[in-house]
Amino acid sequence: MTTPVLALEGVRKEFGGVVAIERIDLELHAGEIVALVGDNGAGKSTLVKIIAGIHPPTSGRIMMDGSPISFPNPRAAQEHGIQVVYQDLALADQQPVYMNMFLGSELVTGPFRRLNRKRMIAETETLVRELDVRIPSAKATIRELSGGQRQGVAIARATHRARKLVLMDEPTAALGVAETMRVEAIIRSLKERALAILLISHSLDQVFRLADRICVLRHGVQIGVKRSSETSSNEIVAMITGLA
Amino acid sequence: MTSALRGIDPSRYVVHVGFLLIFALFAVVLKDDGFLTSTNLLNIAQQTAPVTVMAVGMVFVFTAGEIDLSIGSVVAISALIAATVMREYAWPLAVVAGLGTGIGIGLLNGALVAYARLPSFLVTLATMGLLAGVARWLTNLQSVPITQNLFNNLFGAGRLAGIPSLVFWTVAVVGIGHFIHRETRFGAHVHATGDNARAARAIGIRIEQVRLAVLVISATTAALAGLLYAGRLHGARYTLGETDLLTVIAAVIVGGTHLNGGIGTVTGALIGSLLMGMLNNGLILMGLSVSEQMMVRGLIILAAVALTLREPNR
Amino acid sequence: MQRRSLGPLALAALLAASGSSQAAPKPTSGPHGEAATPAAQLTLTPEQEAAVRAGGFTAALVWHTSSDYTTAVNAGAMDELQRLGIEVVAQTDAGFDAAKQMSDVETVMAKQPSLILSLPVDPETAPEAYAPAQAAGTTLVFVDNSPKGYVQGKDYVTVVSDDLAQMGAKAGQAMAQAIGGKGKIGYVFHDADFYVTNQRDHAFRQTILGEYPDITIAVEQGLADPARAEDIANALVTKHPDLDGIYATWAEPAELVLAALRNAGNTHTKIVTLDLSETLALDMVQGGNVAAIVADEAYAIGVGVARAGALGLLGQTVEPFYVVDALAVTSDTVRDGWNRSLHRDPPASLLEQ
Repeated sequence: MTTPVLALEGVRKEFGGVVAIERIDLELHAGEIVALVGDNGAGKSTLVKIIAGIHPPTSGRIMMDGSPISFPNPRAAQEHGIQVVYQDLALADQQPVYMNMFLGSELVTGPFRRLNRKRMIAETETLVRELDVRIPSAKATIRELSGGQRQGVAIARATHRARKLVLMDEPTAALGVAETMRVEAIIRSLKERALAILLISHSLDQVFRLADRICVLRHGVQIGVKRSSETSSNEIVAMITGLA
Repeated sequence: MTSALRGIDPSRYVVHVGFLLIFALFAVVLKDDGFLTSTNLLNIAQQTAPVTVMAVGMVFVFTAGEIDLSIGSVVAISALIAATVMREYAWPLAVVAGLGTGIGIGLLNGALVAYARLPSFLVTLATMGLLAGVARWLTNLQSVPITQNLFNNLFGAGRLAGIPSLVFWTVAVVGIGHFIHRETRFGAHVHATGDNARAARAIGIRIEQVRLAVLVISATTAALAGLLYAGRLHGARYTLGETDLLTVIAAVIVGGTHLNGGIGTVTGALIGSLLMGMLNNGLILMGLSVSEQMMVRGLIILAAVALTLREPNR
Repeated sequence: MQRRSLGPLALAALLAASGSSQAAPKPTSGPHGEAATPAAQLTLTPEQEAAVRAGGFTAALVWHTSSDYTTAVNAGAMDELQRLGIEVVAQTDAGFDAAKQMSDVETVMAKQPSLILSLPVDPETAPEAYAPAQAAGTTLVFVDNSPKGYVQGKDYVTVVSDDLAQMGAKAGQAMAQAIGGKGKIGYVFHDADFYVTNQRDHAFRQTILGEYPDITIAVEQGLADPARAEDIANALVTKHPDLDGIYATWAEPAELVLAALRNAGNTHTKIVTLDLSETLALDMVQGGNVAAIVADEAYAIGVGVARAGALGLLGQTVEPFYVVDALAVTSDTVRDGWNRSLHRDPPASLLEQ
């Protein structure tokens, strides 16, 4: 087996003595989608924030490509190739798609460091075409897009920047059926880009459609990790709820 | 909206159309009243120069989702300080002192907004009052004359190749402002900060620096406007700029910049400012009484703002 | 107040006049020390009037702000210009902004008026403001003040103003009459370097000190910021409930003094102030605290500048400084007072009483 992109070893998180996550051991490999499931308050969001560099773990180790690492802030996590697609999208609504795609790392040209719109637009168009994110134009502003299109843009942006790992927090929570299907197709296509993906979702159907493995949390405790092909909806529900 | 129209925001062009319409109207109605003479048109350009310069700064502030109410006071205090320094020293030092005053006030406003996390409306409301008081106290309500002619020509009444220096200042500030606002990474960060500060922060933009910077830009343009007034009048006075705040805001908003942040245009603000100046000029030339001028001007601005800010999707 | 610009020589005038605290009020002099001539002496002969009518002249009115006072001056000027066959082609209001006034002059010059009647916002920077008009040879007549360095008879025709010293003196006499020639009064003066109010306040004070030995000024209260007038009025009325009268430097602070007296249930302290106000006049005709309001003949100022302008257009020279009379309006003379000062009937509320 190859070295995992990201490995969590005995990660624990307490907030002022309250245990949010008791202990998690989890490996993510390139080209793999791992789903994180559990009820509200199970510790999913806390785990995402630890990996994204927003909270440091109380104890335990985070390994990337086999070496231990720590993220003092979100920027450090981003610099190590980790990107997060947040539930609330984090897009600037009134700016065009291509500016959102390059926000914070805009391309410039010439002695006056002028924005290279041409190249940003071209690269955006290539990317959305590859990911099959169907938007009217790279120059469209975000507010003109549907929820699914926005989520597509957010995922495309994360994909574009992430070299290693994309964290997705409820990427289809606000979407209708058809749009959910489109976004799932985009997520599936990311596997081909050799990125590891950690997906948080409330929809078990979606989890089974997308994930290679499923990690179940309950009250901050890691109940187990199952291959999707070797488990069933009923078993996962039982693990989530604790009711056999 | 049909897909063909997507990406084109019609509200951005209302001010251009409105400007042309009103210009055409005045050109016809005031044909024999000197409106179209080159002197009069240059007058409008000169008279609006300080407001245009301040409007450029305000576009940055609005785009970042902030507001700067202190610009009028900065005008007065920078002009007074420059004029006072010029009594004893050469004008370049006075220019540095005047602009430095603006930068300092901008840093104060900006630090309170960006790092102490106070709302810009309240911070600049407070500094507006504070600075107005300082401007009055500084000179005991007296005017300070300026006798250094090079300064007066450079910042005020001088001309180069028949074109007033104030027009050069306007073109320079609008040109540089437009470039920074529209064509640089900083400009993009200003837009993103005003549009969605949380998103901008999450993506790694240092929104505190952006907020600080826009308030410094705004105060600096106000200080420059103060120097332009001082050069034009050959002196400074505590009332300079007192009434400009609302004109600047009107010019910026009529020009298509949104008060809530994320959307702004420097060229629109230029057109907005020229529109305000043209209205003042044309309504006077029409021979209207002062009350009539105020009513007509108010109605036209209301119409322009209604057209500019109407949101098609709402 | 805030109706006129700062006078550059106000401080000097104040110092000069306060050489002896017992002196009678100094007669009004112009901003540059010119001797005052009654504005009624500004007249045109029938031949001159005919010449003006035949001249096809135009005029622009470039005011400093909009107020009751400017409305009356403007009305006087408009009526007289019309009578003389001079067409008014533009009117402007600078909102007390010297830069705006400069723009206004530039703008009206597009209509090439033969005559500009104006009140300079700031005499210090005014030379630049009127430069385009001067360059074009436009005849200039000013109200209250002339631009610094301008020479009368060469750069402008004359200055017409109200008689500030007379206004203050009449306020002093009205106060004495209201309190029966003796007692203790409060003196609320404008504590800022402001040509108009300084001269009026000073003349009031000198009149009381010089002519009414039985009246003492028990409290002198400066008013620097009109926005704080209410606090000052309340404090004054609370601390000195026994005053026989209070002088307030202009109508707005007087209204606040009146409000404070009413709040305190004080009916015996009399108020004397300057500049007409409907609120104060209503109290006066109802027999309240207000005893007298001193006003100037603002309409006559407008008539005066118009006539001076007409004479200037004919190349005539006139005196350097003209003043109009002041009048003390009391409850019996409200209708007459309004007509003489503002050239219109008082508001209906005052006539119903």
